[in-house]
Amino acid sequence: MRRVRGMKAAALLLAGSMALAACASDEDSSSSGSGSSGGSSASSGDLQIGLAYDTGGRGDKSFNDSAYAGVEAAIKDLGGNVTELTPNADASNRVDLLTQLADDGNNPVIAVGFAFADALAEVAPQYPDTQFAVVDSSVEGTGLDNVTGLLFAANEGSFLGGVAAALKSESGHIGFVGGVESPLIQEFEAGYVAGAQAAKPGIVIDRQYISPNGDFSGFSDPAKGKILAQGMFQSGADIVYHAAGGSGQGVFEAASEAGGRAIGVDSDQYETVGDPALQAVIMTSVLKRVDNAIQGYLTDYSEGSISGGTDEVNDLESGGVGLSTSGGQIDDIKTQIDDYTQKIVSGDIEVPTTP
Amino acid sequence: MTESTPLAVELRGITKRFPGVVANKDIELRVARGEVHAIVGENGAGKSTLMKTLYGMHRPDEGQILVDGREVHLRSPNDAIAAGIGMVHQHFMLADNFTVLENIVLGSEPTKGGRLDRATARRRIAEISDSYSLGLEPDSLVEDLGVGDRQRVEIAKVLYRGATILILDEPTAVLVPQEVDELFGNLAELKREGLTVIFISHKLDEVRKVADSITVIRRGTTVGTADPRTTTARQLAEMMVGAELPTPATRDSTVRETPVLRIDHLTVPGAPGSRAAVDEVSMTVREGEVVGIAGVEGNGQSELIDAILGLRVPSAGSVVLGDEDITAWSTRQRREGGVGFIPEDRHRQGMLLDAPLWENRILGHQTRPPAVKGAFIDRKAAREDTARIMREYDVRAPGPNTPAVALSGGNQQKLIVGREMSAHPRVLLAAHPTRGVDVGAQSVIWELLKDARAEGLGIVLVSADLEELIGLSDTLHVMLRGQLVATVDPRQVTPEELGGYMTGGHEATPAGAA
Amino acid sequence: MTLVRRVGTLLLAPALAVAIAVVISAVVMGLLGVSPVQVLKVMVDLGDTPSQQITAVVAILNRALPLFLAGLAVAIGFRMSLFNIGVEGQYRMATIVAATIGAAVALPKPLHVALIIVVGMAVGAIWAGIVAVLKVTRGVSEVISSIMLNFIALGLASYLLTGPFRGSPEGASIVSTAQIPESGRLGGLNGVFDVLGLANPPRQLYGFLVFAVLVGVGVWVLLQRTRFGFDLRATGLSPSAASASGVDARRMVVKTMLLSGAVAGLVGLPDLLGRTYEYSSDFTSGLGFLGIAVALLGRNNPGGIALAAILYAFLDRASVPLQSASLPSSVVTIIQGTIVLAVVVANEIAGRITRRAAERASRQSSGPPPEDSMTTRTIPGVVSEGTP
Repeated sequence: MRRVRGMKAAALLLAGSMALAACASDEDSSSSGSGSSGGSSASSGDLQIGLAYDTGGRGDKSFNDSAYAGVEAAIKDLGGNVTELTPNADASNRVDLLTQLADDGNNPVIAVGFAFADALAEVAPQYPDTQFAVVDSSVEGTGLDNVTGLLFAANEGSFLGGVAAALKSESGHIGFVGGVESPLIQEFEAGYVAGAQAAKPGIVIDRQYISPNGDFSGFSDPAKGKILAQGMFQSGADIVYHAAGGSGQGVFEAASEAGGRAIGVDSDQYETVGDPALQAVIMTSVLKRVDNAIQGYLTDYSEGSISGGTDEVNDLESGGVGLSTSGGQIDDIKTQIDDYTQKIVSGDIEVPTTP
Repeated sequence: MTESTPLAVELRGITKRFPGVVANKDIELRVARGEVHAIVGENGAGKSTLMKTLYGMHRPDEGQILVDGREVHLRSPNDAIAAGIGMVHQHFMLADNFTVLENIVLGSEPTKGGRLDRATARRRIAEISDSYSLGLEPDSLVEDLGVGDRQRVEIAKVLYRGATILILDEPTAVLVPQEVDELFGNLAELKREGLTVIFISHKLDEVRKVADSITVIRRGTTVGTADPRTTTARQLAEMMVGAELPTPATRDSTVRETPVLRIDHLTVPGAPGSRAAVDEVSMTVREGEVVGIAGVEGNGQSELIDAILGLRVPSAGSVVLGDEDITAWSTRQRREGGVGFIPEDRHRQGMLLDAPLWENRILGHQTRPPAVKGAFIDRKAAREDTARIMREYDVRAPGPNTPAVALSGGNQQKLIVGREMSAHPRVLLAAHPTRGVDVGAQSVIWELLKDARAEGLGIVLVSADLEELIGLSDTLHVMLRGQLVATVDPRQVTPEELGGYMTGGHEATPAGAA
Repeated sequence: MTLVRRVGTLLLAPALAVAIAVVISAVVMGLLGVSPVQVLKVMVDLGDTPSQQITAVVAILNRALPLFLAGLAVAIGFRMSLFNIGVEGQYRMATIVAATIGAAVALPKPLHVALIIVVGMAVGAIWAGIVAVLKVTRGVSEVISSIMLNFIALGLASYLLTGPFRGSPEGASIVSTAQIPESGRLGGLNGVFDVLGLANPPRQLYGFLVFAVLVGVGVWVLLQRTRFGFDLRATGLSPSAASASGVDARRMVVKTMLLSGAVAGLVGLPDLLGRTYEYSSDFTSGLGFLGIAVALLGRNNPGGIALAAILYAFLDRASVPLQSASLPSSVVTIIQGTIVLAVVVANEIAGRITRRAAERASRQSSGPPPEDSMTTRTIPGVVSEGTP
């Protein structure tokens, strides 16, 4: 009898947590709803853009938001509207998202995140007249001739982040918090470590990941991000770089509490973090200009110069990655940063992609 | 009964219906102040329903309740307490790990500045204890108390709340005769102090001993009142059941020579750090013999039964069924080998309450026809056999698909007995086989046990009902602290003597082992 | 009890649950400023063309399949009061090992697929068996140990994937095991649509559906019709009564967990054999937890679980068109959550109603004992004879 009651309690707990999850995710999707209508009311040009977000959807203050910003900017220039779709919690319906967007007549359809690679391989051949783009995934060699890969040299941007951290560190001890130990994030780590060591040989670099590969909770676990960063600050680090999506919030909090500083990722987090106390600790952000890449892609598309089946690599040279300067905290080392940028662009420095 | 002072409690035409059944009908009850008034009736006659009405646990559909001559409307037990009515439940509702004081004040704690005011509580409890000779020790832990003491705590609890009318629901069911006498002493004190006691029982001798007046209930209605000084127990009983009465007594011995169950120096460990639950028990059950085990509950009877059934692992000793040593057998092997089982708590060990009757028919006989065909359950045969048991053993239920929980205790028990008998066991372990069943079912079960015994079944009978033990047993052992301390002749022993052995008051003198 | 009444009581709880869920969801949607009618319209609209409609049906069934298996695995535990929260870890371990072994061997087709399935079931059973062993030998609550094993499975799978089981090239953005060769894959069932004269969309209906149906029927027969199932259910209803009836409770725990784990081991296989052909860091996770909700919703009965899984999948599918129609897709989560809640409430209410009905029926049939039945068994003697 006691057992049965236990199960009922568990069921109630389960239902309650689902309801909470629904409430929590509601903000995102309601804003996405209004966003899409806002997009459509902006103008009625030719572009009808389908945008499939990575898990979490719009409102992540990072990756997905950056993608939306690119679409928004393109619509401003070119006209058109956008339909945005977000996958379900376990992201098992990516194929459905793409199918729906293509069925609804959107063209091009942009998939945000490498996780769409398999889904695209399934859906794209079914819609040969639709152009697809996928962020962070290479399409060369897959034979998908209506898909464009939008790639980023995250290692190059992170290299500069490493340089900045090494030059600004007073203790000679810095840190790196990765979200999920996947090849994509390891690229950030590799560039960061290489940059820091280039600027200050022998510097101590703590490197930790929130979750192992396959467990994507690391991108949305600020509490754990905070714990890892706290540990680094306590052991003497004074600057911590995060490549951990939503978990970065915890890294900023830890920096603020420890009197240290942090480096943001993807978008200019100095501008997006919202909290003045946290803003103060964001020394710079390693930009991954998903917005630029998408805007560029859409411009090319509207000009008819997209052929598909190729990758567009956004690197330091094209301005697809870089460092943000909002807040002016790295203005004093601008010359060194520019110097390294030059060396990377010219090929004098080859930035590794694996740690 | 007409006096100038108003009656303490008067019920007029109380009727209480539950969906599909009338539990109480036109109940008339007149209880004078300062008397012990007994309400007697067989199980299921409606006593409990009536008492719940009086204690505000539900409201009657018709009729009036008068307390001290004024009509009251009792919507909850709180209303009843406010009207001065308190109830001592048959099953104690005490927190074991609290002290007597804490238990008594629990729910109506005197506070001083938000904290329990122990001094005030202690003083009041001392007053209550002294004026009614309850002999309470406020600081003892309830878990250390005996049954009688716990009952006094329950009584004190009710008195502490200011009750002047006490309802005692089957208070003697859990007591040995000596404790019953003490309880009656307490009741006399209460009466002397002017309190009114409503005493529910079906034990007619006790009622005649303690009550000042008696109301008899049968099938939901009051059939009359009786004066205990002029009414015999037999007359009362016949009023109660509306017919002549059954008795457990067996007349002729059917004991044969062949032993079916031999237990040799069986020892079952108790809880860690305490004495053995069963301590070197040896006994023999022969064909056609009922071996009774008397004892105050908690002296190892349950553990002994469990060990024979294989539910507990003995640390020493052996169990032999027929010629085979079954000490290492699993419970299932023992069941298959012919050990039947009527558990002391049928809800815990005997039934799947939420399952239909036919599945309950299978329980314990999963490996034998008619329940199974190979690895599969034979639903059709099980249903048919359940219908047969219902017919032959007078199990009153709509059909084999009825969930067991819907049956009354008596009908559940008859199903269990029918199920066990249908498997033709060699030994039957019967623990409290008639506990909580009505007189009708009781007599049916007694008859069944007697018939089976006559056919050569060996029975181990554990019971708290001394009449039952004395009446049915061919051999009667007394169990105390895990040991068999005495063997008495059931034909000669009286319940009082037996109670003495059970509490360790007598020397262990075997009185003619049969 | 007549058939109509039996079916009636069987359907009472689900019907109540759906009604409660509809009302609550409608109220919540109203508060969110969303029209429930519009939401419903979008939900039941499967598409414009026959091909789209069949695609939607395939999407629902393909989604329902792993949910059904997960629900089944949880329900087997539930039926004997074992709370197997570890389905999540069990299917994760089963899928990665099955994928790796499947990719490593070359066998003729039916054998190859069979091997993968057997490996999946075996690994799931072993992972669940750890829980059982801890419970019977050390008394560790299966809730605690299975949650812990979920975490261990997550870490272990990550280690295996990036280490010894890695099949994808260095630096690939998705780490995966090697691909299972053609002989180890399970084709789709879309031929059925041709036979039925329906549109045949490119999306393949998982061939695993057939096996899952067989498993569902098998589990039902096992639980409802066999001695083993009786022992299992008896233990769930009353452990003490079951032991007294001769069921070895400890052995039963082990057997049940092994069975539950074996079914859990199948959860990842529809995707593995029908679409991905590899286990990757991106493999669908969380199905084990959804299985708990599905099992509750299906009242631990294979048929009910199948319906519950389809309902869940149907609601899940709606989240995409809802977004497309500028409606918040979170209403899907709200409805799913509300249904689980409603099922718990409705089960309770329906249980009380049927119990009361049964009690009334048996009271009427027993009633006040008839006069003659009392007198047929009169035995001379008086209750009080023994006492002076």
